[in-house]
Amino acid sequence: MEGRILDHPILNFTRKKRVKIFFEGNEIEAYEGETVAVALHAAGIKVLRYTPINGRPAGLFCAVGKCSSCLMEIDGMPNVRSCMTKVKAGMQIRRQHEKGELV
Amino acid sequence: MKEYDAVVIGGGPAGMAAAEVLGDQVKTLILDENDMLGGQLVKQTHKFFGDHAHYASTRGFEIANKFIDKIEKKPVDILTSSTVIGIYPQNTVAYVKDGHEDQVKYKKLIIATGAMERQLPFINSDLPGVYGAGAVQTLMNQYGIFPGKRFLIIGSGNIGLILAYQLAQTGVEVRAIVEALDKIGGYEVHANKAKRLGIPIFLKHTIIKAIGDESVQGAVIAEVDDKFNVIAGTEKEIVADTICISVGLMPITELAEQAKCKIVYIPELGGYVPVHDERMRTTNPDVFVAGDLSSIEEATTAMIEGKLAAMQIVEDVKKTDLEKEISNEIKTLAIFRSGPKSLKIRSGLEKMGIVTPQIEVPKFSPLPNSENGKLHAIIECTEEIPCNSCELACKFDAIKVGENINTPPVFDPLKCTGCAVCVTACPGLAIFMEKLDESPNATLGIPYEFLPLPKSNEKMWGMDRDGNYVCDLTVKRVVKNSNKTHIVYVELPKEFVDVVRHVTYPQKESPFVCRCEEITVDQIEKVIDSGITDFEEIKRITRVTMGPCGGKNCKMITLGIISRKTGIPISKLSHGTSRPPVKPVEFSAFLRGDKK
Repeated sequence: MEGRILDHPILNFTRKKRVKIFFEGNEIEAYEGETVAVALHAAGIKVLRYTPINGRPAGLFCAVGKCSSCLMEIDGMPNVRSCMTKVKAGMQIRRQHEKGELV
Repeated sequence: MKEYDAVVIGGGPAGMAAAEVLGDQVKTLILDENDMLGGQLVKQTHKFFGDHAHYASTRGFEIANKFIDKIEKKPVDILTSSTVIGIYPQNTVAYVKDGHEDQVKYKKLIIATGAMERQLPFINSDLPGVYGAGAVQTLMNQYGIFPGKRFLIIGSGNIGLILAYQLAQTGVEVRAIVEALDKIGGYEVHANKAKRLGIPIFLKHTIIKAIGDESVQGAVIAEVDDKFNVIAGTEKEIVADTICISVGLMPITELAEQAKCKIVYIPELGGYVPVHDERMRTTNPDVFVAGDLSSIEEATTAMIEGKLAAMQIVEDVKKTDLEKEISNEIKTLAIFRSGPKSLKIRSGLEKMGIVTPQIEVPKFSPLPNSENGKLHAIIECTEEIPCNSCELACKFDAIKVGENINTPPVFDPLKCTGCAVCVTACPGLAIFMEKLDESPNATLGIPYEFLPLPKSNEKMWGMDRDGNYVCDLTVKRVVKNSNKTHIVYVELPKEFVDVVRHVTYPQKESPFVCRCEEITVDQIEKVIDSGITDFEEIKRITRVTMGPCGGKNCKMITLGIISRKTGIPISKLSHGTSRPPVKPVEFSAFLRGDKK
């Protein structure tokens, strides 16, 4: 549960079913209903891609699908907004380099 | 293709309020990109200002839940996880759900797509760890994720102030709030909530640079002059792993543009906005706007705008007469906008031809706040905020706000029974309880929304309005409330009752003296304070200088503390006896004869 808030003075966080997802081939903790970006953040992963022109690290910025900073390769599909994509069992997530590749 | 009387795009406060009105009246569809309705309300944990009809004193996510419950009971089609991608000719909305594009037709359309956060260009602003303030709220309040450990907030509007408080509630460190203007942007009560936690607000400062390679490790901030130019030489570094940008919002107008609504640039309303009349109709007679898309304001005004647009649509489609209801809503909206904080909005709307009469906010001379011997409220709310939560909460007529909800509350201590319901209701956490009598100690009640919740008889620290230590105090009792704003009653010296505004657990951080035995300055000072001032005694009690280094590193510091506390120069202090071995050696080194 590292990186996840367990006790909060106002909110109750009830996590749904645990699902297995994979980042760069390694399993990370994720729960149904979470977005890919959320699960990665909980695991301390903030660099979600490297930019096409300058190769700079980029991560989550708006978290609501409006800035396209968090594009990743999800299940072989490049340029997917990781902040709007819910985790699914067996999902394979990769950092996107440049403009990504359709696998 | 499915056809609806009304299609609402966006399920935030404006869209939900519209759908609630439309639901019973006309065939309605509401579309939202997220997997549930609620918009930005779902990530708001603070209680909202307002009046009874607009969920005053209810937390944002609870407002969303109440709306959702109501809408789901109505014959409204709800499409969540549905991203509208365009408005086509012949009143057609195109959206994508589950990877497939689909289209619907509308007679009337309400676009309530809200706003997005303004960007702020600074060096490395693209580094992971720089977020919009809303993103941090999403991670923290919607998904229960810690986005970082040490935060820097840029912008002191309500969002920045609220975010600072919300972050502190999860136990992380908020290093500072940075504001380019010479005054705090948001409401005073929101600022006070952050300030009394000890969060500094740097006015006339801006961020120049984020520091870090793969993600944020810090930031450079600097002072700015009146023209917002950086004053050279004033740069300072702040250690932070997360930078939150909250420098305002701007309307998302693309869909309105595609729906052939005329767009104008009015900075007071947030930038580019669709031209609309006071019933929220745009230049396209079939298209309405509501909420932050029409002008950046509050959730309350968004709800009223949503309702207004919906009522007008019902009139259009069903030819029913709703003129009375509509003019009531227009009046309500005007009241919400009548305070001094809405001056900008009023002047922006005027440019569009919507004149909001400035309703006089009556000023009352405040009644005396305290009366001896009896537990009573103290209200610290002096700004004109559209809110009458305290008046609604008080069943004894001790608090008056009056017809214009922007009027600051007037409190009558003689009528106050000390029930403290107002303390838990106040969204600004600006009401405290006080009891003064002949005894040298006073009772103070403080609204408290942190973990762990203090217990009776616990010793805590009293902190002032800027978060500085004032005095030690004792918790007398804790009143738990279902709305999670609990009240901690403390006993403290009388002279501090008007100074203390927050309580915190004693902060135990103390520098280390001895790295081998992990002894702090605090621990040594405590022994000295108990009357033991001899170095050898202190050594035996604390184990300072007795670790593997043999005291090489900590002896001088320990002697320095003794000297400082007792006033005896180090030269006159005994400094113990040195014994071999002076370096760590293995026991086996001392074995003689047969090594077996």
